[in-house]
Amino acid sequence: MKLPIITRLAILDLWHEWILTLCMVLAIAAILTPLLVLLGLKYGTIQTMHERLMEDPVNREIRPTRTLNLTSKWFKQLEQRDDIEFIIPTVLRGSSVIRVSTPKKRQLVDLVPTHQGDPLILNNDGIIPNKNECVLSSAAAEELGVKTGDIIDTEVTRTRNKHKESVQVKLKIVAILNSQADSLAKIYAPFEFVNDVEAYKEGRAVFERNWPGGKVLPPLSYDGLWILLAQDLTSIDEINLTVGTGLTDIKRSYPDEFKQQFFIASPDNYAIYKLSATGNPITVSSINAVKNKLRGKAAIILPFVNNVAITTYNQLKVIGLSLSKSQTDILGLPALPWGKFDINSNFASQSQALLPELDKKFPTLTLTSEVLGGKIKFPVNNQGLSFNKNIIVPIELIGILRTGQDSKIIFDQAQKTFLSAKTNYHGFRLYAKSIDDVPNLYSHFISQDIDVITQIQEIEKLKVLNKGLTRIFWLIAIIGIAGGMAALIASLYASVERKKRDVGVLRLMGLSCLQVFRFPIYQAIIIVILSNMFAITGYIVISSTINIMFIDRVGEKICTLPYTYFLLIFVITIIISIFSSLLAAWKTTAIEPAEAIREE
Amino acid sequence: MDTLVLELKNVLKHREQGGATFELHVQQLQLNKGQFVAVVGESGCGKSTLLDILALVSKPTSYEQFNYYNTEVINIKQLWEQQQEKTLAKLRRLHFGYVLQTGGLLPFLTVLQNLQLASEINGFQDSEIKKLAERLDISNILNKKPQYLSGGQRQRVAILRAISHRPQIILADEPTAAVDETRALHIIEDFHTIAKENGTIIVMVTHNHNLVAPFADVTYGFNVSDVSDTLTKSSLLKL
Repeated sequence: MKLPIITRLAILDLWHEWILTLCMVLAIAAILTPLLVLLGLKYGTIQTMHERLMEDPVNREIRPTRTLNLTSKWFKQLEQRDDIEFIIPTVLRGSSVIRVSTPKKRQLVDLVPTHQGDPLILNNDGIIPNKNECVLSSAAAEELGVKTGDIIDTEVTRTRNKHKESVQVKLKIVAILNSQADSLAKIYAPFEFVNDVEAYKEGRAVFERNWPGGKVLPPLSYDGLWILLAQDLTSIDEINLTVGTGLTDIKRSYPDEFKQQFFIASPDNYAIYKLSATGNPITVSSINAVKNKLRGKAAIILPFVNNVAITTYNQLKVIGLSLSKSQTDILGLPALPWGKFDINSNFASQSQALLPELDKKFPTLTLTSEVLGGKIKFPVNNQGLSFNKNIIVPIELIGILRTGQDSKIIFDQAQKTFLSAKTNYHGFRLYAKSIDDVPNLYSHFISQDIDVITQIQEIEKLKVLNKGLTRIFWLIAIIGIAGGMAALIASLYASVERKKRDVGVLRLMGLSCLQVFRFPIYQAIIIVILSNMFAITGYIVISSTINIMFIDRVGEKICTLPYTYFLLIFVITIIISIFSSLLAAWKTTAIEPAEAIREE
Repeated sequence: MDTLVLELKNVLKHREQGGATFELHVQQLQLNKGQFVAVVGESGCGKSTLLDILALVSKPTSYEQFNYYNTEVINIKQLWEQQQEKTLAKLRRLHFGYVLQTGGLLPFLTVLQNLQLASEINGFQDSEIKKLAERLDISNILNKKPQYLSGGQRQRVAILRAISHRPQIILADEPTAAVDETRALHIIEDFHTIAKENGTIIVMVTHNHNLVAPFADVTYGFNVSDVSDTLTKSSLLKL
């Protein structure tokens, strides 16, 4: 296939004056090559630094600056975010120190909780420890003189009732992290273990490990109170009930509504009020506060919950009611075996139930309830007949289950009691998915009033450096490009000026204005294509030299460019060359065919 | 039998250069098929101006008639007035060949490339170029660039290029100026042969009357009169 005539003429002319062409090509290549190298250096160094920032999870870490009180629910919510790679609660500093004994040494080491997916461990040559295993920071391994595979004796100590107590645990070292992970001595152990250590240190018992200590019973909580009164409250009294009681709303209610909640009728002529708190559940102290304010008014106070699901056989409803004998009399009900609401009730008094008539044959009954983190099962004793079609249980039991909605509770079979699993955490260790997510998370925590430490400054520094280097590059590039354009314009213009007669001959032979117009444009494009080839060759030579020179010290390629950049530069330079040739091109159109004839 | 190809009547070209005015008047000029036309005159008499007009590259200042007869009548005057540059360029390309003083060959093309260019611009391949080159005794220099040719060789290449696309009219501007007498004679003989063999009109501008006299079918001269210091008038005469 033959090239179009003008293209061929443009090439042949450049070839004819090959020395001039070569000079021009080299001149432009001499501008492009250093620009490519500069761009490569900028890209390479920024890329290297960015990769290091990216690779090192430390730069994606977010830690709170002070002790917090965070619920499991809070952690659950954060785990849903897709800009967080990993989050784990941490324990108080004082509760996380254990004594490690090796044949050589005894030393206190900080204990850090970890679990599956911890990038600090996974990105630093570690593996996630399982039960009775641990991972050591390189400093810890060095100080203790231990290696992977060793088993260390750890001792958790506490002072309780003025007595020093301690428990021992053996942990197997499954990995030692590289020094980049943490410069301090740290032991990384499964979260459950660290949690137990904290519980023990705080004086609590850890039954699973047979560590002695106190029990923590879950507190009671409710969504609000129903109040039944023989006479109406004044509006001042009404408002008074929402002041300092933790209850925010008071509303006059009606017998129907009351019946919907408890399936019992309210006494005639009694005023009914519903007190509730928006958002947070109310505690026993709220109930006591309300009781105090209503003293002497013979009020019946009935705590209630909204969404505690209890399941049992036959899809029976479970209603929580605790009333004194006089109160059941007022309501026209038989007396309840467990009597009035008792804030200090234990599971023995809570696990009672009145069952509908047909079910009286069961001595005990298992109830299941949805709580935070799963289902909880517990037994209740059949205390006789219910006065309606529902199962009636003490409201204290329901209050425990309500607490279980927001914080973790367990039912301890051995001791026959509900126990509070650890409810709150004092801090967290979080890794954002990428360093670019850090600023966003940072503002999220600040808006939640949680002061955090991030490497945001490091990331910002890199961005500023990148911006600065980009500016310098463009400054140099603009000067270079301007010089190159000037040279190209001059060369092409002079060429047309010299070839006036030849252009005239071409016109005389019948080439149109538009055809000769393309002549210098094509030449400019050809020159720039050749220049690019020279420049890229030059860049490859120089960048390889730079990379070889620095590979020992830096480790990565510091002068590198993705292929798309070459393509982009190629296109940009061609566009610039077209602009540069326009003056010469315009000049050709002014050449008349007559000029070829009239030589003198 | 004479076939009229180009006809000019009362064409005037007015040129101003550096304060001096020059006027060329062509009362009547008819070019017939196969004619060898010599235009003789000293420099400054309007030879080039006439050539510009005939070559369709210079617009006359005023004219009565300017027709080109091909299979149909083409009104050049109208084309100029309607600024039909494209049509004029096409006419130039198809029907006109040019031989310039020093050949007008493109320096960056070889002889062969130069020869092929005219046909190529017109969009056809000329297989006879090599044969013609042999006849004009230039087949051994086809791959050379014009700068390495002698004046005579260059002119022969130029003539061959001018006829390579079979034009109706060949305009030659002092084609013998750069060669010695013997070679000049050869060139003129070549032109004459072409004119007769192909029926091509040759318009040859020269200052050497004696040289063309034996071959020319028609010879034109100029009557130059200096009207004033700044105005020179010239008119074409049949000799």
